[in-house]
Amino acid sequence: MKARVVNSRLRLLLLVILLTFAALGARAAWLQTVRASSLAALAQKQTKFDLNLPASRGTIYDRLGTPLAIGEQATDVIADPMQISQPRRDARIVAKVLGIPVRPLYRELSDQSRGFVYVERKADPKRAAALSKRNLTGFTFQSDERRVYPQGTVAASVLGYAGVDNTGLAGLERELNKQLAGTPGRATIVRDATGQAVNTIQERPAHDGRSVFLTLDSHIQANAEQVLEQTVQQWHAKDATAIVLDPHTGSILAMAQEPGFNANDYPGAFSHGLSIDHAVNDVFEPGSVFKVVTVGGALSEHKITPQTAFTLPYSIHVADRTIHDAEIRPTERMTVAQILQRSSNVGAVTIAERYLGQTGLVKWMKRFGFGRKTGIDLPGETRGLLPSYWSGSTIGNVPIGQGVSVTSVQLASAYAAIANGGQWIQPHLVEHVLGQAPPKLHRRRILAPDVDRELRTMLKGVVSDQGTAVLARIPGYTVAGKTGTAQKPGPHGYIPGAYVATFVGMVPASNPRLVVLVSVDEPHGQIYGGLVAAPAFEQIASFDLQYLEVPPDVRLK
Amino acid sequence: MILFALLLAGVVAVNVAVLRAHVAVSRLDQKRGQLQARNQALASELSAASSAPRIERAARRLGLVQASAGNTGYTDLTSPRR
Repeated sequence: MKARVVNSRLRLLLLVILLTFAALGARAAWLQTVRASSLAALAQKQTKFDLNLPASRGTIYDRLGTPLAIGEQATDVIADPMQISQPRRDARIVAKVLGIPVRPLYRELSDQSRGFVYVERKADPKRAAALSKRNLTGFTFQSDERRVYPQGTVAASVLGYAGVDNTGLAGLERELNKQLAGTPGRATIVRDATGQAVNTIQERPAHDGRSVFLTLDSHIQANAEQVLEQTVQQWHAKDATAIVLDPHTGSILAMAQEPGFNANDYPGAFSHGLSIDHAVNDVFEPGSVFKVVTVGGALSEHKITPQTAFTLPYSIHVADRTIHDAEIRPTERMTVAQILQRSSNVGAVTIAERYLGQTGLVKWMKRFGFGRKTGIDLPGETRGLLPSYWSGSTIGNVPIGQGVSVTSVQLASAYAAIANGGQWIQPHLVEHVLGQAPPKLHRRRILAPDVDRELRTMLKGVVSDQGTAVLARIPGYTVAGKTGTAQKPGPHGYIPGAYVATFVGMVPASNPRLVVLVSVDEPHGQIYGGLVAAPAFEQIASFDLQYLEVPPDVRLK
Repeated sequence: MILFALLLAGVVAVNVAVLRAHVAVSRLDQKRGQLQARNQALASELSAASSAPRIERAARRLGLVQASAGNTGYTDLTSPRR
């Protein structure tokens, strides 16, 4: 009887154990199958989290390796309003530490319908670290990079701007975005029970952007900007542009404009209309600086020589227009060299009418690169305008640089070709991208070497005592160049009193190392290129020659 | 049994060592990032400090003026001795 009771108790115990194991097995099966995915996700969330690895944006250096645009560490401060119980107090603390306005922040933090709010993007990392020490609930901090332009105003319009997402939005930042941006990566951080990171699994490494080396020289650039600032102030001008080019390589050493702006405040400059790169985006009627096309073309066609003489009255009629020279003079004989030297409109139109005609002028304008983009590595380059319809008077306008519009960079590169023995080289700002071969440049011959020599000799005469650009002279150096004074066209014909004064020169004229273009928009008091732009050329070129250690080619008395 | 215990202890020791190495790598990664950021910040500071407008302002304050290009002397070391 007793043994039977024991057996039944054992069986009962066995049953209980079996039932317990069955229950556990069922629970295990339930967890392993039905709840498997949700629990795995929960575990993943507790121990692992995915992280975007931002790629550092490449640095932009000048030709000497000085950083002009660089990435600096910054912190994104993020809030989760759902977790914030005292938005008023937190907004006050955060605003004080980060130095941002409190009211808009309070509005953001008190909006409990949102779980993610940027308190400040690219905040100062020191301020963000100070805020982090306050241990406020609902705030997280993410490492980021902000674009900084350490030289401020230097080359601001050329460098452009990279936005908050580190995407290039203007200038070289935009043009070179593909190379500068790099590719962001992805990683998984494994944390222990205390939240400490114990392992980082890189799923895709971040590839930092490539650094870019420019042809710009920050010293030459800064000096050109300073000279333009003084020039604009002196002549109460609307704006001014300068380009400094190495004619043998097509390298742009400076591309300056005034008014300038601080590259670190691009949005502010944009709102004030200062961010446009005048040298490549703006066109203007070149005026007399364009006469090299007329004379260069006629010389190349072997129709004239520098000594060919013409009897030229003060004014001539071309269809319904009267063309006259800038200064009243009697009818006189002038050689081609004197026509350039004294910038005779009548002389240039006479040469064009007799020896080039419409077909010849169009051919030579295109040959010098007008009416098409130079291919400079900046976005939004304008091709300029050549006459689409030739009326009877067009042959009286175009040879003297009216009725055509050009960009400063087209003009500078055409003169650089004259300085380079007649060979045109694509103007460029990028010397090379790190790890890549330098970009291939287009080259083409515009003028035969002998014609080029003749033209350059004639351009030296422009800077002589009898020429229009005496103020472009630099003691110790020979200078060749051409002045231009062009009336500005408006919707109802030329605007009275509005001129563009230009000088493009090369120095030393015997073997040019530099081509410098200066263009001053709407100067007041004086309007002539020889009086307004030539002195600025002299100041810019003087500094550059000394800075680049170019020996004088004239012995000083 | 002892061999099994030793093997088990060995596996645990290797795992701990790997874990420690991972932690060290993480810290070094962090440190490298910080140093890179500091390097960038210093390069930026140097560029700002050596910018031409800043140096020129400082020079003007000291009463210095720009030397004229024509007055700079050059010696041509490649020309033959006369």
